[in-house]
Amino acid sequence: MKKQITKYYPLIPVYAAYLILFLIGVNVEGMWQLVAMLLFYCALGQAFNIFLGMTGYVDFGYVAFMGVGTYGMALAITRLVGFQGLGLGIIVIGFFLALVMSSLLSVAVGAVALRLRGAYFAIATIGVNEGFRFLIEGAKIWNGTEGMIFTAELNRILGREAASALSTFWADVMVLVIAALAAFVTLFYMRSKIGYALTALREDEDAAKVMGINVTKFKIIAFITSSGFAGLIGATSWALKTPYVFPPEVFEIHYTIEAIIIVLLGGAGTLLGPVIGGLIYGISKYYLSIFMPGFQLLIFAPIIIVIIIMFPEGVVGMLKNRLKGTALGRFII
Amino acid sequence: MFSEQLIGNLIQGLVLGTIYGMATMGLSLIFGVLKVVNVGHGAFIMVGAFVTLFLFNALGLNPILAIPVAFIIGMALGYLFYYTTIKRLIKAPELATLLATFAIGVLLEEVIKLIFGSEFRGYNWAVGKVSLGITVLPLSKLYACAGSIIIAVLLYLWFNKTRAGSAMRSVVEDSEGARVCGVNVSGTYALSFALGIGLTMASGVLLTMFIPVGINPYMGGGYTLKAFVIAVLGGLASPYGAFFGGLVFGLLENGSYTIFALIPGVEPFALTRFFSFVMLLIILLIRPTGLLSRK
Amino acid sequence: MALLELENVTKRFGGLTAVDHVSLELEHGQFVGIVGPNGSGKTTLFNVISGVFFPEEGRILFEGQDITGMPPYKRAPLGIGRTFQIPRPFGSATVRENIAVGAMFGTLGHKTSVDESLEIADAIIARVGLEAHKDKAAGTLTPVEKKLTEIARALAMKPKLLLMDEAMAGMHPSDIDQMVALIKQIAREEQIAVVAMVEHIMRAVVGMAEKVIVLHQGAKLVDAPTKEALEDPRVVEVYLGHPPEE
Repeated sequence: MKKQITKYYPLIPVYAAYLILFLIGVNVEGMWQLVAMLLFYCALGQAFNIFLGMTGYVDFGYVAFMGVGTYGMALAITRLVGFQGLGLGIIVIGFFLALVMSSLLSVAVGAVALRLRGAYFAIATIGVNEGFRFLIEGAKIWNGTEGMIFTAELNRILGREAASALSTFWADVMVLVIAALAAFVTLFYMRSKIGYALTALREDEDAAKVMGINVTKFKIIAFITSSGFAGLIGATSWALKTPYVFPPEVFEIHYTIEAIIIVLLGGAGTLLGPVIGGLIYGISKYYLSIFMPGFQLLIFAPIIIVIIIMFPEGVVGMLKNRLKGTALGRFII
Repeated sequence: MFSEQLIGNLIQGLVLGTIYGMATMGLSLIFGVLKVVNVGHGAFIMVGAFVTLFLFNALGLNPILAIPVAFIIGMALGYLFYYTTIKRLIKAPELATLLATFAIGVLLEEVIKLIFGSEFRGYNWAVGKVSLGITVLPLSKLYACAGSIIIAVLLYLWFNKTRAGSAMRSVVEDSEGARVCGVNVSGTYALSFALGIGLTMASGVLLTMFIPVGINPYMGGGYTLKAFVIAVLGGLASPYGAFFGGLVFGLLENGSYTIFALIPGVEPFALTRFFSFVMLLIILLIRPTGLLSRK
Repeated sequence: MALLELENVTKRFGGLTAVDHVSLELEHGQFVGIVGPNGSGKTTLFNVISGVFFPEEGRILFEGQDITGMPPYKRAPLGIGRTFQIPRPFGSATVRENIAVGAMFGTLGHKTSVDESLEIADAIIARVGLEAHKDKAAGTLTPVEKKLTEIARALAMKPKLLLMDEAMAGMHPSDIDQMVALIKQIAREEQIAVVAMVEHIMRAVVGMAEKVIVLHQGAKLVDAPTKEALEDPRVVEVYLGHPPEE
């Protein structure tokens, strides 16, 4: 039993970081906005890491799952607004819908694209993201290009005050819960056969196959898990926090790139990495936009290149190797 | 009536397709030789467009003369990025080169924005037009089309008649084998990357001759995505495949647009884009070596 | 019943026939050497047996079961383990984790839990003498240690058949003797049939084999008990310029 618990020690630094962030946000005047942004980036990194970090496959269309999750919540709110009796239940249904829709899309995409490897997979996933966006716009699904604005519906369901509290505070708390959950699932996978199989296939897919590993099965497991979390993040950070959805925004490839940067900065495939990556990325983005507005990307781009070349393992990746075998090493993976 | 319109649009599509093809050859060349997907591809097209704009507006230089200028600047940029970045990442997992080339693209966009600002610009090169009965083509478009074909032919000759060209082809076939046979693989990598970027920048010039307005630091993203589809049509690793992929894409794009425009209650432009990505996925699945390959 | 049977197996790549109508039979616990120069189709033969490639013609039977079209991940648990020409351990995982992967997925039904697999790995680590390296990332090992890790990983699968591709290439002669002795001993105890593939007629390997198969341009040239095979004039001809090694 004790052994089972020590296995989950690495969650301690992750949850400590989240707790500190939360406390700073609640107690320090004017910090909540920054904290909310950091929580979003940590959650995004943590969710994407389950696929990108653990399998090594680059999903360039990851944002599509967030987009679909956003639509799931939007659909629940706009279609069920007439059923006033449901109250908060509508939000719960929205989460459920977001999860189902993003998971379904990931099964469809995974069945098709996960047959491809390397660059071909990356290009196929860009294709899925763009294709899905243009299908919504072209066939005018879910209001097409006009998107959906549902501030009024949200107000009607929850009341003006509760709706405002939801978008300025509770939605961010939900993102925190999602991030914590994603971290738990990551560690659970790492400690189970799934994690061993994913490491094997990330390192050498053909060798993994002849070792008896059904690589397709494990890739799909990671893909669906990661995409489901993306759907939940979209439903929360986008649909509940800013109650509107426009196709060009929720399928914007820059979010995928941000997620990749966070995972890479912190250390792909590590548990603590996405937290560190999310914090470094979020804080530098926030302060650059204050002190050097308009120049963030100009400064970021060369830094990213230098980091990829000099520190491909990321912060936690390096730390992990340094601490291997020490007392601290049990906490940092 | 409809058939005339369709044929007219298809002619336009074929002409545009030559430029699409030309604008994708660099991407395919770089992938074929280095197995690197240049996600910053469109940004280099954009830089080529700005070179043309600058030479035309500031120096009054004919856009045709901007082609060699952009090509040479592109070669220089290609060498620069190859030796500072790509060379160190060739053996790393795909993620590294995908993100690095994306960052290079962002860097170019931001530098150009810093110099020229982010508003849309254009230039006015009036050289007249020709009528083909069904449709009217400005001469500048025909020049761009001719330029694309000439460059593609020159590249073909260079590949097949020069030592460096055949070294490049052997690396595409089998880089280990080429190394064993005494080909300077790392030199070939550098040259291919530089040549790929040079071609891409030159295609940016041709593109402005076709569409002289709408030049903006962020114009490249859409072309990167189109280039991916075209490259996959042509087999991703073959520059000539890419050229013919461009022709096919130009025809399909204009043809499907004409048809989608007949359907009431849809956005034909967006559906055309949707259709192109559906094609991308289908080809990746059933024929990842491209439509034209014999395998 | 034979452990492994190949019936007229042929594998082509484009116009090239890499494996040309090869038939062979292997008994439980047998030690067989497959000899053939580079390009003779040895690695392709291994890939066909382990399921990396599927043959165009012929059948493969394992313990009487037809496995010709079976994907590799289903073959491994039946008891087919292999090593690669250039060792391919999972670089970022530790030696212990590498070996545990073999125990976890290499047995039927994947019933071994993670903890049990790690225990099995520890036992094998002790057996092959990798204790000093067990917590190192496999990617940081020396080539010999990588090879040993790979063999240990395959042994953790409890194979009935162990395919070793160029297992000893590039190794120091004293290391070779040690490793061959170790493998031979484990194979005897666990009743594992070993197919060791070598480029040259390596005394250390071939000397231990009960049977030698010589491949030449994809086809089977000789299949005979070791002593006979080595005296066969056709073998001498193939190896003209490749005299038996020390």
